[in-house]
Amino acid sequence: MIDTWLPVGVVLSSFLPGLFIFFLAESRIRLRTALNLIGALAKLALIGVMLWGVLNDHEYVFRHTVLPGLDLVLKADALALLFVTLSAVLWLFTTLYAIGYLEGAPHRSRFFGFFSLCVTATVGVAMAGNLFTFFVFYELLTLATYPLVVHRGTEQAMRAGHVYLGYTLGGGALLLVGTVWLYGLAGQADFVHGGSLAALPPETAGQLQVVFLLLIAGVGVKAALVPLHGWLPLAMVAPAPVSALLHAVAVVKAGAFGIVRIVYEVYGVEFAQSLDLLTPLAIAAAVTIIWGSLRALFQDDLKKRLAYSTVSQVSYIALGVALFGPLGTIGGLVHLVHQGIMKITLFFCAGNYAETLGIHKISEMDGAGRRMPWTSLAFTLGAFGMIGVPPLAGFVSKWYLGLGALEAGMPWVLAVLAASSLLNAAYFLPVLHRIWFRPAPSAWPAEHIPQRGRWETAPLLLLPPLATAAAILLVGLFAASAFSPLDWAKLIADREYLQWTP
Amino acid sequence: MDALIALSLLAPLLVAALLWLPAGRAPGLRLAPWAPLPALVLALAAPAPFELDLPWLLFGSRLGLDETGRVFLLFTALIWLAAGWFARAWLAHDARRHVFAGFFLLAQAGNLGVCLALDAASFYGFFAVMSIAAYGLVVHDRSAAAWRAGRVYLTLALAGEVLILSGLLLAAGAHPLAVACLILGFGVKTGLPLLHVSLPLAYAATPIPGAAVLAGAMIKAGLLGWLRFLPLGEAALPDAGTAMLLAGLLAIFFGSAVGLAQRQPGALLAYSSISQMGYIAVAVGAGLLAPGLWPLLLPAVVLYALHHALAKAALFLGLGVAERHGATHWVLAGLALPALALAGAPLTSGLLAKSALKPALAGLPAPWGEPLPALLALGALGTALLMLRLFWLIRRQTGQPAAPGRGLAAPWLLALLGVAGLGAWLAPTPTWQDALEAGAALGASWPIAAALALAFAAVRLRLPAPRIPPGDLLLPVERMLAALLQPGRPLPPLAAPPSMLPPPSAHPARVEARLRAWPLAGMLWLIGVAILLALLAR
Repeated sequence: MIDTWLPVGVVLSSFLPGLFIFFLAESRIRLRTALNLIGALAKLALIGVMLWGVLNDHEYVFRHTVLPGLDLVLKADALALLFVTLSAVLWLFTTLYAIGYLEGAPHRSRFFGFFSLCVTATVGVAMAGNLFTFFVFYELLTLATYPLVVHRGTEQAMRAGHVYLGYTLGGGALLLVGTVWLYGLAGQADFVHGGSLAALPPETAGQLQVVFLLLIAGVGVKAALVPLHGWLPLAMVAPAPVSALLHAVAVVKAGAFGIVRIVYEVYGVEFAQSLDLLTPLAIAAAVTIIWGSLRALFQDDLKKRLAYSTVSQVSYIALGVALFGPLGTIGGLVHLVHQGIMKITLFFCAGNYAETLGIHKISEMDGAGRRMPWTSLAFTLGAFGMIGVPPLAGFVSKWYLGLGALEAGMPWVLAVLAASSLLNAAYFLPVLHRIWFRPAPSAWPAEHIPQRGRWETAPLLLLPPLATAAAILLVGLFAASAFSPLDWAKLIADREYLQWTP
Repeated sequence: MDALIALSLLAPLLVAALLWLPAGRAPGLRLAPWAPLPALVLALAAPAPFELDLPWLLFGSRLGLDETGRVFLLFTALIWLAAGWFARAWLAHDARRHVFAGFFLLAQAGNLGVCLALDAASFYGFFAVMSIAAYGLVVHDRSAAAWRAGRVYLTLALAGEVLILSGLLLAAGAHPLAVACLILGFGVKTGLPLLHVSLPLAYAATPIPGAAVLAGAMIKAGLLGWLRFLPLGEAALPDAGTAMLLAGLLAIFFGSAVGLAQRQPGALLAYSSISQMGYIAVAVGAGLLAPGLWPLLLPAVVLYALHHALAKAALFLGLGVAERHGATHWVLAGLALPALALAGAPLTSGLLAKSALKPALAGLPAPWGEPLPALLALGALGTALLMLRLFWLIRRQTGQPAAPGRGLAAPWLLALLGVAGLGAWLAPTPTWQDALEAGAALGASWPIAAALALAFAAVRLRLPAPRIPPGDLLLPVERMLAALLQPGRPLPPLAAPPSMLPPPSAHPARVEARLRAWPLAGMLWLIGVAILLALLAR
């Protein structure tokens, strides 16, 4: 009995505090913080219970029939928990960071309210048990993040918000069309290992290919697949915690996760391969990887460079999904987690430079390592992780993607990975060079937070990136240990391939 | 043993972490030179085949030592020890010495790990840490030359990393391109022709102790990569083998010839390394060509690696001693030992290494078996000339009384002891016997005698010759890139920037005339070799 309500509890653990926070006065800082943290910790506790259960082949399903033939299903399986755990853990860090970041800023109740709703929608996306449920939470995510993107209320922010809304609502519409079409073809079907469409008569193959295109385009907007990525670099005007949320915890990830669900549990990877859907997806991902990196090279705005880097890196997930074979799956899934940890670290650090020293541009970063060594250390780990330097997280992803490419008989993917690594190095190493090897200027652009004893910046701004940076090292170094993201991705891959024989 | 292996890898990392904290700087700097000691003890004390499985590390790592790994670990740890000890005195007045030490220790951990890694992922991991951390050593001086060297070094190193990763993955999938990727990827580190351009810049720009570990220890990590991941002794790969053999031969002669046209001792030694690694590439190429010979070739390659690593490190440290103390008789005598060893003089590790290599290479099928020994002897002539040129370049060093010089002699002596003793200790008895034969001693002596005669003649005749800036082919490439990336800007000069050249000496005209004699001899002899090779190939 309690089992059915655990997934609901995970959703409510951020939804209810969020609702309360909306009605709190600006000055109730302690109560707001307490609500946020209680929600985050309760969510983690519930997830911990479910992780244990799923590891022992248990599934947690909540089902509510909205209309006959239209169920709202929340299901915690291994794949859902990969994303839920990532979101919940990073949400905790982002909340702490946001508390430090927004200290003294206006509209904090509004901010944290939507912040909680955003995570609610994300865990909903993660645990959605069918396409309808997925669509509901996916749209909720769009609506909950819009106020965060425009939080600062500047003209630039409003414009970014409009573009964001235009792109994501358009994507949502495509997703809706695809979902309805599929329900018409096959009726309602839960997400299941191996997919549920293989049993359809062969003459529907053409329609299924079109539906696949619609669905992937729908989630591809959030996953920032080129050419649907235009909103992401603009959205970098949002405050740093929101960027972290967009890039690592919620939005982009929800899109990438949608690709995973559609390929593996709607179509089934083996059926998708038989419909020749995977190779085009791999090509789209490869183009995105290279294009994002190329664009990143020419940005002087630090957050914009990071945003284009996200465009590139998130498509590693789609690429892994498109590589037919368990190793590619492992590479893609593990990158879902790894990219999140690495990118959130980088955005935390970018926020620290901006809040502490007023640094927004890469050309202003000379000598920042001397003034902010710990932030810079975290940034360095994130950047090296992105390049794929062992033993950091990004290396693990790249290794499995490479093995997966060979397993799938697509050795050209190795060239894409190699080019991407070099491009990553080309746009991250000059930043590191400035931070560590150039002399510092006589004055920083705008030093908001002075050095206080050993603290180079506010503790709540410094500790979250240090924690996630440590995670970049640990998930890479101990990738083979039990409960590592890699271990969990292997568990999922084991369960997704029904007829696989290497 | 397990604890010792952990300590070997953790000691440099922990000391580096200590240096990161402002409060830990002073104790960290005191401990830094001794960080490779556990690894040295491990190399001496571990039982021969020794493995440690760590299923929780990376993708499930296996660390340990086989015979090859043990020799590599031994000379690697010894060189890092000598260089770290040397660095403490060399940089005693440097305000950023803790930064140097930090990068030094990170690169050290990577290099020691490379020797201990027995699986692909951890090998690659340690290798990458080593390569990237070494950037901090190359750019330590923060001069224009150092920045340029660092840029070129890092670009090539990253290209190498990507090739290696692709090669390892392709090898896991048994793809035919794997061998090419691995040869080229590790070839960046070992200075295969065309991939060699970063070596002269980096060795000349890096502070002496950093150059010693780059030239002695880290370059050998690339070789170990070949030994670990190429299908040596398993499958015959005629194309790859022939290509590598030819590349090695080219490196031997090209390295000596261009090295003779250098003005900076550091750059000259880099070209000498390119040349010496050519011998090793020849042997590895032979192994790919004729897998049956590999059991004979492997010990020879390992012995050669040990010999060259220690000799080159000792030469660099000696260079530093000469710079600070002046080129006194004692210093020159100390330098003569590794120089003679490189030239393969009798009773040195060089002759031992060559004696081990020769019979193995003689077994190669036509057209290689016959001419190779002769070509290698010709190569020895080039090395001997190069070493004479080195002495010529440093003979006027007067020392810098202001710079700290105390404490440099002891670590240099340690390296020299390694040169004198380790090769002899580790060489198998048959190699010993071969090397001690009268014929071998005679064969080893004539290149040196001929080099002396040539050198004498060249000085006498005052032959003019071209000077080749360090990095040779890099300059036209940089020019081309500059033209492509910034059209409209004036092109950089084809010659090296003036800051790269040593200050003019007291009698510029006369010295110039003499200096120019050497490279000409080298160039003529390179042309001769090319003709010889062309005849062979027909």
